[in-house]
Amino acid sequence: MSEVTKNVSETSAATLQTMRERDMQKVSAKQKIVKICVQTALYLFLGVMALIVLFPFYWMLVSSVKTMPEYIRPIPTLIPHTWDFHNYVEVFQNEDLLLGQLFANTLFVGVVSTLLSLIITVLSAFAFARLEFKGKNLLFAALLATMMIPGELFTITNYQTVNSFGWLNTFTVLIVPFLVSVFYIYLLKQNFQQVPNELYLAAKVDGTTDLKYLWKVMIPLALPTLISITILKMMGSWNSYMWPRLVANDEAHRLITNGLRTAFTSAEGVTDVPLQMAAIAVVSAPLFLVFVFLRKYIMKGVSRSGIKG
Amino acid sequence: MAEKNATLLGRVWQSISAFFKEKIWQGFCVNILYKKFDRYKGWIYLAPAIVLLLIFTVWPIFNTVRMAFLEGYTTMKDVRGDTFSFGLGNFTRVLEYKGFLTALKNTMLLTVLTVPISTFLALLIAVCLNSIKWFSRALQTIFFLPYVTNSIAIGMVFAAMFNMIIGGGARPDFIGVVNIVIEALGGEYINWMNEGAEYWAMITVMVVYIVWNALPFKILILLGGLQSVNKQYYEAAKVDATPRWRVFTRITIPLLSPMLAYVIITGFIGGFKEYSSIVGVFGESMRAPGDPTYTLDTMVGFIYRAISNQEGTASAAALILFVIILVVTMINLYVSKKKTHY
Amino acid sequence: MKRILSTLLLVAILTVGVCGSLTSCGGGGTGGGGGAAADFEMPAGGFDTNTPITITFYHSMGAGLRDILDDAIADFKKLYPNITVEHQSFGDYDGVRDQIKTEVAVGNQPNIAYCYPDHVALYNEAGAVQTLDILMNDATYGFTAEQKADFVAGWLAEGAAFGDGKMYSLPLSKSTEVLYYNKTYFEENDLDVPTTWDEMEAVCRAIKAKEGDKCIPLGYDSESNWFITMCEQLGSPYTSATGENFVFDNAENYAFVKRFRSWYQDKLVTTKTLNSNAYTSNLFTGTATTGTRSYMCIGSTGGTVYQQPEQVNGVYEFEVGVAQIPQINPNAPKVISQGPSVCVFKKNNPQEVLASWLFVKFLTTDINFQASVSMNNGYTPVIKSAIENEHYQEWLATAGTSNVQALGVQMALAQAESYYASPAFIGSSVARDQVGLLLSACFASKASDAEIDAFIKSTFANAVSECKYQSGQ
Repeated sequence: MSEVTKNVSETSAATLQTMRERDMQKVSAKQKIVKICVQTALYLFLGVMALIVLFPFYWMLVSSVKTMPEYIRPIPTLIPHTWDFHNYVEVFQNEDLLLGQLFANTLFVGVVSTLLSLIITVLSAFAFARLEFKGKNLLFAALLATMMIPGELFTITNYQTVNSFGWLNTFTVLIVPFLVSVFYIYLLKQNFQQVPNELYLAAKVDGTTDLKYLWKVMIPLALPTLISITILKMMGSWNSYMWPRLVANDEAHRLITNGLRTAFTSAEGVTDVPLQMAAIAVVSAPLFLVFVFLRKYIMKGVSRSGIKG
Repeated sequence: MAEKNATLLGRVWQSISAFFKEKIWQGFCVNILYKKFDRYKGWIYLAPAIVLLLIFTVWPIFNTVRMAFLEGYTTMKDVRGDTFSFGLGNFTRVLEYKGFLTALKNTMLLTVLTVPISTFLALLIAVCLNSIKWFSRALQTIFFLPYVTNSIAIGMVFAAMFNMIIGGGARPDFIGVVNIVIEALGGEYINWMNEGAEYWAMITVMVVYIVWNALPFKILILLGGLQSVNKQYYEAAKVDATPRWRVFTRITIPLLSPMLAYVIITGFIGGFKEYSSIVGVFGESMRAPGDPTYTLDTMVGFIYRAISNQEGTASAAALILFVIILVVTMINLYVSKKKTHY
Repeated sequence: MKRILSTLLLVAILTVGVCGSLTSCGGGGTGGGGGAAADFEMPAGGFDTNTPITITFYHSMGAGLRDILDDAIADFKKLYPNITVEHQSFGDYDGVRDQIKTEVAVGNQPNIAYCYPDHVALYNEAGAVQTLDILMNDATYGFTAEQKADFVAGWLAEGAAFGDGKMYSLPLSKSTEVLYYNKTYFEENDLDVPTTWDEMEAVCRAIKAKEGDKCIPLGYDSESNWFITMCEQLGSPYTSATGENFVFDNAENYAFVKRFRSWYQDKLVTTKTLNSNAYTSNLFTGTATTGTRSYMCIGSTGGTVYQQPEQVNGVYEFEVGVAQIPQINPNAPKVISQGPSVCVFKKNNPQEVLASWLFVKFLTTDINFQASVSMNNGYTPVIKSAIENEHYQEWLATAGTSNVQALGVQMALAQAESYYASPAFIGSSVARDQVGLLLSACFASKASDAEIDAFIKSTFANAVSECKYQSGQ
C-alpha cells in the first residue's frame, strides 16, 4: 500500500510542475484525480484481502450443503455438485442437540461473564493507568508474567480448586475462573494512558470522584476498545471448549461448542462434518448479528472522541 | 457541587488545593498530595482482579513450579501416594531431549516471522479501512468475520488450499488452489505439506495460516485505536498539505504506538505459545507425512505431549518457556517504553 | 469523603461478593485426593435393591449408538429399578481419557468408562481401576458358567493382559482388519485373492504392470497396525509389558520394513499417512474420480461402510469382496483385535461398584444390545449367543456390496481363532504411534540403496528413544 501512495504522490508532484501556469481550478481537478486513484488502490487492496479473509467462511457455508460422500472426497469441490439443505433441517430436529437450551446457557454465561469481566477490567486498567501506588510497576510486571505460562498446565490444579469449592456443574464454574484477563487489562490500560493526565487532575480539582471521572470521561473515550473487549469475551464464551467440558458437561449447563462436538459423531467416531458445519453456521448467526450491531457502536465511539484534547 | 456537600475534610481540602493552585505548578502538587491520601486506592481497585488471579492463576503457577522440581512427578503417582525427591531431574530431561532444539527453533522462527508480518498487514488494513468513504462498514464487518467462523472449519480449509494428492503417476493427481494459482502465473507447483515437502515450504504454510488467524484481532485493536485518534491532527496536516506517507509515519504511527506496542508484545507472547494452528494443519504428529521426527514441533507442542502422563517434565518445560518469553517481553517493554508516545 | 467512601463501597461489594461466594461454597466440597479408594469387598447383605443409586458411564458413542444405549439402560432399569445410569459422550477415546485422568486426581472418576488397554494402565498408576475377578466369579452376581463360555474366548482374556493376571476390563464390541478387494476386477482379470505376503507382492506387480501409472494396487490404512501385525506374524519382538518395554528395534523388523519400502517406492502400496492423510478407501472406491485407483484395501471392519463404491443408476460400480489379510504363515494366521472395552472404577461405596458391575455385565451379555450395536456400526458382538441370534443371522445373510458391514463382520467372525492383542502398559500407545511413524518415514525416505540400511537403523533407534522419553522413562 505504501508503495502505491508514494508513487501516486510522486507522479502528482511531477504533473503539478508541468501545470505551473495553469489556473487553480485545474490543479484542484488534478488533486481530485489523484484522490480517486488513491481511493481505487485502497479498495483494490482491501478487496483482495477481504477475499482471502472471506474464503474460509465461504468454505464453511459450502461444506454445510454438501453430502457426506461429496465432502470426504480427497479433491474438495469448490462449488457443491449437489446442494443439500437437509443438514439445516436436521440441526433443528436433532434431539441430542437441544439447541434452545444450549443457546440459553451460552447466552447467559456469555453475557454475565462479559459484564463482570468488563467491570473488573475497567477498574484494574484505571488503577494501572491513572493511580500511583507502591508496587504498581512490579504488580503489572507480575500480571504480564502470568500470561507467559501455557495455560494447559493450570487445568488440573484449577479442577481441584473448583471441585473443593463444590462448583462442579454450576454456572459459577463457567463464569468465575476466567473473569480476569491480563490481556484485556493491558489493552485497556494502553488506551487509558492516551487520555492526557491533565484531564484527570483537573477533574480532581473540580472534586469529581474517581468513579464519576471513569464513567463520564474515561469510558466514553475508550469505548471502541471496550467494545472490542466485549466482542472478544463473547467470542471466547461462545467458543470455549476444554474447560466447560471438564467442569460442567451436564445437560443443564452444557454450552454450545460441546453440544456441537458430541451431537454429530457417528458410531465409528467419524464426525458428520457437513452437518456440523450447518450447525456452526446456525449458531454463528446470532453471534454475527451481535457483532454487526456492536460494530456500529465502535463507529459511534468516534464521534464522541471530540471531547479529547 | 463540592461546596454543597462540604464536610470539614472537603473544606480543608478545597482551601489547600486552592492555595496550591494559585501558588505552585498545579499538577505537580496535586500529585504529591494524592500520593499520601490514596496510597492504597490502587490496590482497592485491583482487589477483585487480584483475588481471582491468586486463586485461578497464581496458585496453579505455584503448583507448576512444585511439580517441575519434583523428579519424575505424575499426578497419577501422586494420587497413589508416591513421594518424589526434590531435584532438577525434570529440567535435565527436557534439555537432553533430542527434539528440544527443534521445538525451540521452530517456535522462535514462527514468532519472528509472523509477528511483524501480521502487525504490518493489520496496520495497513486498519489505516485503509479508516480512510475510505464507501463500503467501510461492510468491509469492516468482513475483516472481523473470521471471528465467528470455527477453527475446525479454518484448519480444514487451509489443508485443502495447500494440499495435493500425490497418486501413482509423476504428476500429482490433484493440486490445491494455491498451486493452481502458481501454475496460472507461470510457476511450477510446490509440494507444500505432503510427503517430501521441504522445511521452508511447510514453514511458509504455517506463516500464512498464523498470520491469517492473527489478522482480525489485530485489525480490531488497531482500528479501535485509530478511531480514538483525534481528527484535529489530521486536519492540521491537511492544512499544511503534508504528504500521505509523512502523515502515516509522523502522525498515525506515533498516535497508535500504545496499541501497536500492545499488539506486538502480546503477539510475541502468543507466538511463543503457538501450537494448535500447527496441529490444525499438520495433525498431532506435527510433521509432513513421512518425516522421521517432529519437524514442526513447538515448545507448547512438546509440553502438551508430556502433560498426559508426565506432568513434572511438562512443568519444567513450561518454566523454561516462561523464562524465554520473560526475557523477550522485557526487551519488548524496554523498547516500547522508549518509542511509545502517550 | 463521599468519593472515598463510594469507591470503597463499590470495590468492597465486588471483593466481598467474590470472596463470599468462595467461602460459602467452600464447605460443600468433597475434598480432593480420594483417587485410591479402598479395594472392593462384597457387601455382607449382597446388593441393596431398595436404596436408589446412580452410576455414571463415560464413552465416546455417536448419536446412533447412544440411542441403542438408552434402550439398553431402559431394559436394565426393569431388572434393577433402583439403579439409575447416567451417561456422557466425550467425543473420542482421548477425550474420555483426559476427562477421567483429571477426575481421578480428585477422586471424582465415573463408575464405568470406555477404555483402551493403555488407558487402563494409566488410571492404574493411581490404583483407580477396580479388578473384576471377585465380581466376575461371584456365585450370585458373577457370570454363570454359560455366560462365561458364551464369550468369544480370546476377547475375554484381553482384559487380563496387564502383567499381573488380574481382570481389569471387559470387551464391549470388537473390530479387526480385513482385506477388501475389487471382486469384479479380480474376476475379470483372473486374479487370485492373496493369502500370503509373497502372493500379495505378485498380485500387486501384476496389477501394476497392467494398469500402469494411475494405479497403486494396495492401500493399507494403518501403518501402526501393519507394523505390529508383521511383528506378530513373524514372531519378532514388538513390546513387552514387563522389563524392557520397547523391544521392536531388531534385525527381523528392519527386514520387513525394507521389503515393504521397496513396494512403496515401486508404487505398489500406499498408506493413510502417505495418501495425504486420507483413508485409502478413497482410492479403492474410486471417489478420487480422475485420479489414482487401488484394487485392494486393508482397513478396519469398523470403517467398512466407506469401502462401499458409489452407485451409478442403482448399480454399484463394482462388487466388493472381503478376505483375511495376507499372512506369513497361512496355517497359523494372526490378525489384530481392536475395539472398545469397559472398565469399572473403584469407589468407597461397595454398592456403587456392585451396581456398576451389574450394568457392565448386562451390556456384555445382553443379546439385544450386542446385536444392535453390531448392526449399527459393523463392529462384532463379543458373545456367541448374539451372533447366533435369529435376527442377527438374517442381517448377516444379506451381506454383499449393498451391506458391506455384514460382509466385514462375517470375515471377522470367521477368523475368531486368529486374534492377537499387544501388551498394555504405560506407553503402549506411544509405541503404537511411533512404529507407525517410523514405517512411513522409512517408506518415504529418499535414501539410496547404499544408505537405506543405515537410515532404517537410525530411524528405529530414534523411535525407541522417543518411546522411552514420552512414556517417562
